Amino acid sequence: MALRGVWQLQKLVVSYCNWGGSSRGIRAFMETELPAFQEKNPQLEIVPELIRGQHPHLKAFYKNKNQRVVCVKNMTPDDILLHATRLRNALGRKVVKLKTRAYSRAAGKGVLGFCFRRLGEK
Amino acid sequence: MATRRFLRALCRHAAAGADLVSLRRHFGAVTSIRSRSIIRPAIEQEKSLRHRDLWLLSSRRFCSVKTPEDDDMEDEYEEGEGGGDVDEVSDGEMAAGSRPHKREYTPEEKEAEASEIGYKVIGPLERSDRVFKAYEPVFAVVQIGSHQFKLSNRDCIFTERLKFCEVNDKVILNKVLLLGSPAQTIVGRPIVPEASVHAVVEEHALDAKVIIFKKKRRKNYRRTKGHRQELTKLRITDIRGIEKPEIPITKEKPVKVALKQEKVAEAA
Repeated sequence: MALRGVWQLQKLVVSYCNWGGSSRGIRAFMETELPAFQEKNPQLEIVPELIRGQHPHLKAFYKNKNQRVVCVKNMTPDDILLHATRLRNALGRKVVKLKTRAYSRAAGKGVLGFCFRRLGEK
Repeated sequence: MATRRFLRALCRHAAAGADLVSLRRHFGAVTSIRSRSIIRPAIEQEKSLRHRDLWLLSSRRFCSVKTPEDDDMEDEYEEGEGGGDVDEVSDGEMAAGSRPHKREYTPEEKEAEASEIGYKVIGPLERSDRVFKAYEPVFAVVQIGSHQFKLSNRDCIFTERLKFCEVNDKVILNKVLLLGSPAQTIVGRPIVPEASVHAVVEEHALDAKVIIFKKKRRKNYRRTKGHRQELTKLRITDIRGIEKPEIPITKEKPVKVALKQEKVAEAA
């Protein structure tokens, strides 16, 4: 996600276990997909973290001090890449049901009003 | 039943290219006594079998990993037997190992599909691009896919996921239905031909989860399904195709400051 050209995701922590079976996918992801992902996103700080005996997860830290955690246990490297890409594409904003799909500064102001006035002139 | 099973096994081996000698060795006494009488009708039966059944009989898989073709074939088979529901798996939540083959688009196909929806990708946003301007009192009514929006500069809209653009890409929205400004209004029939709206892709995200709950009372039927829609957030940067007013909207602040200064001077 980029707010006016500024990337919002600052840091991505890749937590994995080097023994457990649920971390098999993320270990393969770290060997195959992670270098390419890191190259495509030089603005992003990617930190691998070893958490032995626990299930793997991805932790995302955003500029608005928000954190998002995604558990990636028993996933394939492709699925983990998809989740990592989603975290990178997203804002740190709280996911709320949208009431409208357009947020406008001009809504309710007279822009449409004076155009209709113009149309009504003889 | 035993004869049928035996015939199927024979067909499998025959299709795999086994000759009479190896078949006899495999099937032992039975084939040695009535080899000709069994194998000939077996082979004739094989010819009469449909291609699909032959394929299933001959290409027996011993591996638990299924290819998408296997899945399709087995699904077809299960339907005939009155099989149960095939689980629909949404795009965002694929089960491991069951991802369908991703379609690869050529650049021309991408452009064609994008233009059908109503947008065109220019390229990534550069640091040197000064795209985010001040608010201008000009609006446009634009159609993306099946949704229409009334847009002006610095607005944000959420559309359905636009496939062929990444975050921080510049995008042109071509289907402009109406343009308006304080001095002018341009109505399209149905589209204004040389008008365009420039935008930047801010975000590709998932909407909040919506729970789809189905129930039939007194029938022991209850289903719960979660759904998250994939959305794209666009920030509008420019509207082209209409004359923009030259004089900006005057603000009241300078007048207030002047009045305050006068009061202070009078007090003094």
